Amino acid sequence: MWGIVISVAAVSGMGAALALLLVIAERYIANYGECEITINESTDDRKVTVQGGQPLLGALVGQKMFIPSACGGRGTCGLCKLKVKEGAGPVLPTEEPLLSTDERDSGVRLSCQVKVRNDLKIEIPSELFSIREYKATCARIRDLTHDMKEFRFELVDPAKIDYVPGQYIQLLTPVYKDNEETYRAYSISSDPADRSAIELVIRYVPDGICTTWCFKYLKEGDEVRFNGPYGEFRLAKNVVPSVFIAGGSGIAPMKCLLHQMKNEHSGKEVTFYFGANTTKDLALVDEMDRFTKDLSSFKFVPVVARPEPDSGWKGDTGLVTEALARDLKDASGMEAYLCGSPGMIEASIKVLKSKGMPQEKIYYDKFA
Amino acid sequence: MEGIAAQSWQAFVVCISAVFTQNVLLSYFLGMCSFLAVSRQVKAAMGLGAAVTFVMVSTCLLNWIIYYHVLVPMGLEYFRLIIFIIVIAAFVQFVEMVIERYSPVLYQTLGIFLPLITVNCAILGAGLFMLIRQYSFIVTIGYSLGSGLGWWLAILAMAGIRQKLAVSRIPAGLQGPGIALLIAGMMALGFIGFTGVLAG
Amino acid sequence: MENKTDDNRPSRREQRLREEQLLKRPPDVQKLEETMRSSRLVMGGFLGPDKRALYDIIEEDVSTLGRLGYLAEEVASRMRQLTHLGAQGLGTSVTVEGRFEVTIEEHKGLNVCPWPHGGGVRKRITTVRRLDSGKVLRWTDLGVHMIQHHGFFEGRGSLYRLEPRELVENIF
Repeated sequence: MWGIVISVAAVSGMGAALALLLVIAERYIANYGECEITINESTDDRKVTVQGGQPLLGALVGQKMFIPSACGGRGTCGLCKLKVKEGAGPVLPTEEPLLSTDERDSGVRLSCQVKVRNDLKIEIPSELFSIREYKATCARIRDLTHDMKEFRFELVDPAKIDYVPGQYIQLLTPVYKDNEETYRAYSISSDPADRSAIELVIRYVPDGICTTWCFKYLKEGDEVRFNGPYGEFRLAKNVVPSVFIAGGSGIAPMKCLLHQMKNEHSGKEVTFYFGANTTKDLALVDEMDRFTKDLSSFKFVPVVARPEPDSGWKGDTGLVTEALARDLKDASGMEAYLCGSPGMIEASIKVLKSKGMPQEKIYYDKFA
Repeated sequence: MEGIAAQSWQAFVVCISAVFTQNVLLSYFLGMCSFLAVSRQVKAAMGLGAAVTFVMVSTCLLNWIIYYHVLVPMGLEYFRLIIFIIVIAAFVQFVEMVIERYSPVLYQTLGIFLPLITVNCAILGAGLFMLIRQYSFIVTIGYSLGSGLGWWLAILAMAGIRQKLAVSRIPAGLQGPGIALLIAGMMALGFIGFTGVLAG
Repeated sequence: MENKTDDNRPSRREQRLREEQLLKRPPDVQKLEETMRSSRLVMGGFLGPDKRALYDIIEEDVSTLGRLGYLAEEVASRMRQLTHLGAQGLGTSVTVEGRFEVTIEEHKGLNVCPWPHGGGVRKRITTVRRLDSGKVLRWTDLGVHMIQHHGFFEGRGSLYRLEPRELVENIF
């Protein structure tokens, strides 16, 4: 009888001893305590204290600093790059495929892979400080074409938003099927004078997580969340004659720029080339006609590549770049604002440069 | 108790035999599960082999000490199975923590393989063999090192073969574990050729 | 011949089969499959209603290709070529080689490959229509990458699944 008790006690004792050793080890080895992160030491010198042991990205987001990310911390999208001046440790194998040698030399790291184990000194673009998370209500969904819709979100909290026309926000797609929460970027298309709401132009992507939600699940009256504003695409402050070039949902930031010009009574001369595959893909034509009336020197040039034979299309046909090449003579004293796919942007830049436009005067908000 | 020199020589012989003639995987078929699952790529096999060798040597020695200095004096030899398993599990956990803290690069490279080692029967098997054969501490060093290296060698060879196989046409029924077991069998046959290398 | 169940809930037999399959695979392949079946990266996942194991799907498709006399890299390379020629339309339809009408649709952001090798792929959809038969094939840049580097054509029934035979018969 005693034998059983002793043996059971002995084994339990040894098991408990090992467990105790592990607990102690964890307290000293795996516990990182609190760590201080110094942000932008030379300019803003912000200091935040976070719990050690978590990825840097999570720590910063927890402090309400919105570092962009598309892959949920798996180390595959590369959007969360930032400079770590001190305290990051050696570069991890999961970071290597996404960092160029220049980036590695200057201390750029993937913040979703770097673990906070000690005090850190990092650098992030200061515009990230003005980013906020917004709650809004979906007030109106309007069909623009067979695959594009305009969404109007009226702000709830905070009630007002400040942004520079041309900027974009990251819209939160909630869990609606078996997906995970993700963010997708969309440019603001509404009138910036209306600070209590934003409008977005969204184009449907088959099997896209966000657009499937927007087109098939989101209803007027639903709550939405987004953060922002982001982006450096904006109108330069001058009256230099310009061309706008866009395709598909790229019309969104252009509309916002046109609102800005109208509000400021800008005398800027603008010609807007909008490329579409068929006449069914032309969006916001009425709004553009209104701008033509309201602005002193605005011309809207829709360019349809393959107009349907029965549509009676009288406007420009072919590609946007062809129309551009036809119309532009000397672009050396002009500016250009582009929004569309990288292919369209590259082709347009080639045409603009061939007409004499200097590279620094070409502004674009490239996808990807 | 023989002298240190004699024990060291025995340790060396046992080590060589554990790698070739009594390979823990190809002769005793221990540690087959992780072997079959993880041997698709050479890089993965390298990582796992190194980790298994390290854990095998460390836990065999730890278990030797616990057996002869705790269990035997207390008359609890029959608990060796449970105690050994607990020790292996705890040790792997501890190693994971230490590696994660002091070398995150290594931790990421080993990845999932580290906790996987806990369920590798070759490690428990080696621990039990050293008791059955009543190896001394020094000989146990040689034995566990040899077992680990033998396992490493086997998985590396298998991964090399399977990586080449990936571009061959294999009948549907044999794909995956089927062909892997056939290859393991052929490798085991090959290793039998080593018998008699160490006479005595 | 699917087990009849309500909605998409698998029957008990299917669930047990799935669990059995999962047990036989190493954890990294399990994680990969789990990511693929979820809607984390794309809506509906990459495997669709196909219940087979990931590497079974790949091995069968690669064998089919082999029997037809093609390597996955060759097919991917030709798909890339068609995409490149179609890209000159800047989003509008282009007639390529006199035989195909190719339309490229591009969207903001990056697609992420479920395999853990890092990097992102442009979100670009290529729609190819054969002018003689009217047959339409559609793929994404990510799909081409997965065919080229992983031999993966997506599960049967998935939205962007490409049958190797169909692909080979139509694009060359």
